[in-house]
Amino acid sequence: MFDPSLLNSELQAILSAYLKQLNHHGVHAHDELFSSDDRIRNQWHPLLEEFSQLGTDTLLARSEEAQNLLHENGVTFNSYEDDPGRMRSWELDCLPYVISTDEWEGLERGLIQRVRLLEALVDDLYGPRNVIKKGILPPELIYTHPSYLFPALNEEETPDRPYIIFHSTDLIRNASGEWLVLGDWAQSPSGTGYALENRITLARALPNLYREAPIKRLAGFLQAQLRCLASLNRGQKEHPNIVLLSPGPGSPGYFEHAWLANYMNFTLAEGADLVVRDGQVSMRTLGGLKRVDIILRQINDPWCDPLELRGDSLLGVPGLMQAARNGEVEIANALGTGVLEHPALSTFMPELCQHLLGETLLLKNRDALWCGEDQQLTRVLNETGQWLIKDVRMPTRVIKPENLSVNEREMLYKSIQRQPYLFVALDKPKAATAPVFNVKTRQFEPQPVNLRLFSLVEPDDLFKPLSERQYRIMPGGLAWIGNAGTPLMESQTVKDIWVMAPVPQPHISLLRQANGPIVVTRDGTDLPCRVADSLFWMGRYGERLDIRSRLLRETFSRLQQEDQEDTGTRLIPDLFAALELDYPDVPSETKALKSAATENTRLTRAEYLHLRNCLLELFAEHHNDGMPWLFSHFLRNCRAVRDHLGDDAWRTVNNLRQRFNDMPSAQSAIMAQRHLEGVVTNLAAFFGLCNETMPHHYGWRFLDIGRFIERILLSLELLRLALLTARHPGIPLWEVVLATTDNFTVYRRRYRSQLHPSAILDLLLFDETNPRSVGYMLKRLSRQIERLPHPNISPYRNQETRLVIQATSALHLADLDNLVNIDHSEEAQAALATLLDQLIQPMSELSNAISHSHFSHVEAPRQLVTMQSTV
Amino acid sequence: MKYELRHTTRYDYSGDVTLSHNEARLLPRIMPWQEVESAELSISPAPVRLRERSDFFGNRVNYFSMQDLHNTLEVTASSIITTSARPFPPTDLNQTWESAVDLLKTGHNTLDTYIDQAHLEAKLFTLDSDFIRHDALLAEYARASFTSKRSLIDAVIAFNQQIFSDFIYDPEHTTIATPILDVLASRRGVCQDFAHLAIGCLRSLGLAARYMSGYMETLPPPGQEKLQGADATHAWLAVYIPKWGWLEIDPTNGCLPDERYIILGWGRDFADVTPLKGVMTGGGNDFLSVAVDVIPLPRADANAA
Repeated sequence: MFDPSLLNSELQAILSAYLKQLNHHGVHAHDELFSSDDRIRNQWHPLLEEFSQLGTDTLLARSEEAQNLLHENGVTFNSYEDDPGRMRSWELDCLPYVISTDEWEGLERGLIQRVRLLEALVDDLYGPRNVIKKGILPPELIYTHPSYLFPALNEEETPDRPYIIFHSTDLIRNASGEWLVLGDWAQSPSGTGYALENRITLARALPNLYREAPIKRLAGFLQAQLRCLASLNRGQKEHPNIVLLSPGPGSPGYFEHAWLANYMNFTLAEGADLVVRDGQVSMRTLGGLKRVDIILRQINDPWCDPLELRGDSLLGVPGLMQAARNGEVEIANALGTGVLEHPALSTFMPELCQHLLGETLLLKNRDALWCGEDQQLTRVLNETGQWLIKDVRMPTRVIKPENLSVNEREMLYKSIQRQPYLFVALDKPKAATAPVFNVKTRQFEPQPVNLRLFSLVEPDDLFKPLSERQYRIMPGGLAWIGNAGTPLMESQTVKDIWVMAPVPQPHISLLRQANGPIVVTRDGTDLPCRVADSLFWMGRYGERLDIRSRLLRETFSRLQQEDQEDTGTRLIPDLFAALELDYPDVPSETKALKSAATENTRLTRAEYLHLRNCLLELFAEHHNDGMPWLFSHFLRNCRAVRDHLGDDAWRTVNNLRQRFNDMPSAQSAIMAQRHLEGVVTNLAAFFGLCNETMPHHYGWRFLDIGRFIERILLSLELLRLALLTARHPGIPLWEVVLATTDNFTVYRRRYRSQLHPSAILDLLLFDETNPRSVGYMLKRLSRQIERLPHPNISPYRNQETRLVIQATSALHLADLDNLVNIDHSEEAQAALATLLDQLIQPMSELSNAISHSHFSHVEAPRQLVTMQSTV
Repeated sequence: MKYELRHTTRYDYSGDVTLSHNEARLLPRIMPWQEVESAELSISPAPVRLRERSDFFGNRVNYFSMQDLHNTLEVTASSIITTSARPFPPTDLNQTWESAVDLLKTGHNTLDTYIDQAHLEAKLFTLDSDFIRHDALLAEYARASFTSKRSLIDAVIAFNQQIFSDFIYDPEHTTIATPILDVLASRRGVCQDFAHLAIGCLRSLGLAARYMSGYMETLPPPGQEKLQGADATHAWLAVYIPKWGWLEIDPTNGCLPDERYIILGWGRDFADVTPLKGVMTGGGNDFLSVAVDVIPLPRADANAA
């Protein structure tokens, strides 16, 4: 038996402090931990006993551990407005949201009824439309919703599959403990990936509890979801090709899209990867078009097909609706289901449930008013301040009239009166509280919580009529802290939901188990062209970031040297040139001081500070060629191929991200150098891990080609500067070049002597055994390019190969004798200039040639202009 | 009247198009007063898929795609059509335009009372659409004809004349994207603008109006022969008259459409009945040419008439 007095004293103190907070304002609202008579609810007993044994210190440590795990796995979200380089990650509360067995049964029944009702409604709305014809739903309510798709209407035949494969419902518990539905997600419910990630994390942080407490497991649900999707093509193919269609790395849910694609083993695709040809949907891969059978879409209805839906959509696939209409592809959820997300539907739910199912609605909705009804409109206009306003054309925006200026409010009410049917008012229910562990105060705090729960068609019932179809609810889900209706993306803290079972549950591995025999594939030609493109650019940006960081590090170090001692040279202007920076005008007062002082080259303090600040500018986020800018390009490409990078490689990307977030605050040269060291080592780790873990298929080859094109180009530019164009050529500058290209050690080992330009040239250009030499890099490029897929077999060499040969022969045919005495002979310099040009030109063209041959899909489809001459 | 109808749309592209998906709404609807003897679409180069369905409004839609490199696209719709006089509402409807507005406003959530399905359907055409938004200025303009307690049909016919006399036909002035408020301000435009404008005005008053797409037989100037391809597509509108149906008006010509008008289809506005639309990859710049012929044919029973 559970006895609170047996808990450790610290936990007892925490609990009594929690209760005190609850009762601060008299009788408390419904709370998940304490019942109304201030007793601890049964479902919390095993948890509290475990916490008591662990002790608060351990709980704190575990909680931090959980945060780290989440951070390292890169569980993040970002909204469109956020800079892609700065994604927020959320905190996972180590206290789960616990639901008892009995309570869950009621909730489950209500949710299953709800999804059946929604399915019946959507069947009707795109079929006979009886709910409109019989006057239950006003036509202006449905027809003005952006996700009611006119082209999806199909009065002639009833589809044999459900529109909704899975769906999610957002709920809260109100102050009296009653469940209230806030809304539904019927197009592409998001959050299962986060829910699973939270579960994995918490199970690792609290292993004993997770193993021993009778918690219902989640893995079975995702397996069933996979089975559902795979069954959608009616067994026509043993291994249907399923893709997850995402709006891309810029979308708020991208982390989850990549995560799900990985977990379920789907290809992560964007609209531009897919094409409709011969009526079928195919994916553009390096090996040509590959047929797609099933699409798990994460794009909202109006954007899915620029032909039949919004013509300005760049996310969708032209012709997709027609392909779906002909049954050439199955989409989950079917196009048009978004209309079920209409916020005003809630006011019609009880009647619809009666009419469509002949049942009483089990789960209540939050109070809402549809302004299309005169009486409700009057209430909305009179009871200002009591309601939140939603414009049905802007599904994600919630307007708080009291936060608007007088003018804005007047505008709002005017537009409501003009077209009342476009507006819905939502109440602001007070939510029940649940305990949240505050790691700073080491206390439990009562906080309002929103829940998202998921439903799924029973896979075997997919093609049964609605009346015979079973649904299942995921026994768990996603909870987040915030007042009722706070969007998930705006919450800082999430909670795992634990549904208690009467008996301990068998453990199901969260790692996906293969369903049926696996198809062994090795060739890698099914890599989407877009992924190859992103890997290529990830390589180029990563390499540029690396060389920039090295060069900048050397510049900071030279700057400090020249600040502290009279080095006899002025390298900084040349280094600025290498960094493509304009050398700044030295402030005039310092010039005057200087001439009066000494003739030496030592920098004055003011000069030093001025130059240093110019360099630190490169760390500023707004600098449009600065380090964060470069990084954001690198990161964008990394994110676009998230599902091709190993977890460890991704961790290094997250470390880099952290570093770049801290970078703009660097105030000193020392700090700056430290950041740059960090970038260099993290990048080395990243590319190292890529080499170690990525299968050496086409994807990896494109990454490698991108890196080496960039490295060759930057090395050649540095050589040109050091040997030809520098204001102050000589040993100090050559040292910088060797350090930047990471050749210093090799040079010293080999020559053990002073730097000599001929030796540098040999090492950096001709020596094919030196992995940093242009000769070696060209050899590597040529090998990689040879092994790329070439769909158009032709007896002639393709352009990429020709360009590499061109550069290689220029190098091989160079007359070394012409290049001796480079530091004195003008002829040698001219010969070197020619050689460098002969190398740089084909390498610059190589990038375009590769894009053209392999990624040429990038061109976006466009509208046929339809202007017609009319009378 | 019996007509042979030929409507050719041709695109010439400066570059190759690698893939295109298209929808044509070029085959005429069947109406009680519009018999369609034959109607076919010929497309060059030959498309890979040609599928017909009927859209939300009951218009005929032909989907087709082209996936071999091409730099021209020619779509010709040919049909033989016989038209007869349209019905006209009885003059004793005794319906003010305000009562029509009231009728359209109510009619939802009343399971126990009789629901007029026609009202319900008309309701869609009182709402905003892509090209047409409610506006107080539009309602204000229409009030010159829609005076207090005036009969709906009288007001509609007067309004048709009002636009015809206030506006100047000027094909140089507008493009497809010209907002109707600009048309109202400049008093210039083409048939499409006038149809959109009239619909906007009627909807702003609370009435239901839909956009009609089709053709009209034109006569050559006296003493001249009719030139080939000189006809054009035409646009007008229809207004919902409760308890009767949809009355067509043509503000461009200030008349009520008769046998010389051929209906392709209708929708909320031009966007719903675009004759030919598509999404393509490649192509560069394009050059469009359109030729329409509405050729009167002798009717078998012409002598009897």
